[in-house]
Amino acid sequence: MMQRMILLFAATQGVLLASAAFAADDPRVAQLAGEVAAKGWIVYAARSTENGTWDLFVMRPNGAQRRNITNTPDHEEGGPRFSPDGTRLLYRRFAKGTVIHHDLWGFQGELMIAARDGSAPVRVGADKEYPWASWSPDGKKIACLTMQGIQIIDLDTRELLRQFPRKGIYQQLFWSPDGQWFCGVANARIMWTVVRMHAETGELTIVQEFQSCTPDWFPDSTHIIYSSRPAGQHGYGFTQLWRSDGEGREARMIYGEDGCHIYGGALSPDAKYVLFTRCAQDGGGSEGAGAPICVMRMADAPAIGGPSADLRKVHPDAKEAPVLKLADGWEPCWTYADGEAK
Amino acid sequence: MMRHRAGCLRSVFFGVLSLSVSCAKKPDTGADLQVTSLGSVEVTAELLEIPGEIRNDPMYDYAHVMQYRVLAVHRGQVGKDVIYVGQYNPAKPRDAAADARAGRIGGNLRQFRAGDVHRMAMEVPIDDHYMGGIINRYFGQTEEPVYWALWTNRAAR
Repeated sequence: MMQRMILLFAATQGVLLASAAFAADDPRVAQLAGEVAAKGWIVYAARSTENGTWDLFVMRPNGAQRRNITNTPDHEEGGPRFSPDGTRLLYRRFAKGTVIHHDLWGFQGELMIAARDGSAPVRVGADKEYPWASWSPDGKKIACLTMQGIQIIDLDTRELLRQFPRKGIYQQLFWSPDGQWFCGVANARIMWTVVRMHAETGELTIVQEFQSCTPDWFPDSTHIIYSSRPAGQHGYGFTQLWRSDGEGREARMIYGEDGCHIYGGALSPDAKYVLFTRCAQDGGGSEGAGAPICVMRMADAPAIGGPSADLRKVHPDAKEAPVLKLADGWEPCWTYADGEAK
Repeated sequence: MMRHRAGCLRSVFFGVLSLSVSCAKKPDTGADLQVTSLGSVEVTAELLEIPGEIRNDPMYDYAHVMQYRVLAVHRGQVGKDVIYVGQYNPAKPRDAAADARAGRIGGNLRQFRAGDVHRMAMEVPIDDHYMGGIINRYFGQTEEPVYWALWTNRAAR
């Protein structure tokens, strides 16, 4: 009996040690918090406790200096993206009371551009115009995903510079930092496929098939981060954070946790850290109040949170990973502009 | 006089009966204001096959491509007898399927069953009229365009 208890204790300790650690008083978490504290800013959308609407917030990557930078009781805001130089923000503004749909938000509301602190907001287009707008590498243009195709728009003149077929891409279009590629979610062989498209030739490459979405670029423009709910799980399953190269090779889980759906995957500008949200409900929480934003070292991937017994069988190589749990939010984005640690 | 009145009543009775029988026998063409005006193509077609399972997932919306045999073309041009039609969120009755992603779609059809006949207003190709997930189990088996169903009514064969 005693032997069995000792074995059980040892097994429990093993799981705990191999788990992602969230506790703020865990020295490994505290170390991570200190490491990222001065590394720029994170912008994200969250429900304001002051006015009840979705507003944009910034905080240091350790959660410090959090502040509401829009504070608009008459509008909802979401989907913020720093410009490549970190000086401006692109986001969408919705009518007050709009339910921000986790898949349709890029089609909803008005495209807005503001300074990185939220000041001087400019309404770029009318409701539903410039859908899924994403920055060009020089910040002078945007790429939009429309029914007619992918459109390149000059931000100063609003002139349509180029339009080409979307080839089945239907949401979440993002332009690579080097300008050579787009990523998005498409109907390829099957729906919910993450794809890469060459910006000049339109050549399409399947990156990850089956229940995969919310792709975004690594800073090197050769790797893509995305969420995926793999087959073979019990019941509905849980969405995990994954990465692949642009050819769809080297697919590797970054973070997974049975009981949580992982969305909002984004990288720090040097790709050393990864941002994501942990949500009990599928979809990322945009219809509700968001989900905890988390920071993890990319070097600690693949990592698994919680007991996640089934997931550990699939990924026996999962590492012990301190995970910094920050405020509740949705679609975070990270810049090192103004404050990178020296 | 009485005999004459009885004869008249008999004529009226059989006239009404004949009209009722005639109305009851009139086939349901499925025609209504929407199906005869929306989109660029209108057909009456038999649903041959619903490949795979119709999903009912409240978190995700999609179009499911189904195979139809065209029985009559009412508007537009359809080059083939067998066509492929994307039906949006087919687990829902057509009058409850419209939403922000699909736009104006509808009809009086409650449930999709192979063998039934539908009158449909459509557009083609689907990608010019719909942006969303598509379950297309015919992918790679045919080069035929996929139609986008705007309005789907029940119809008699």
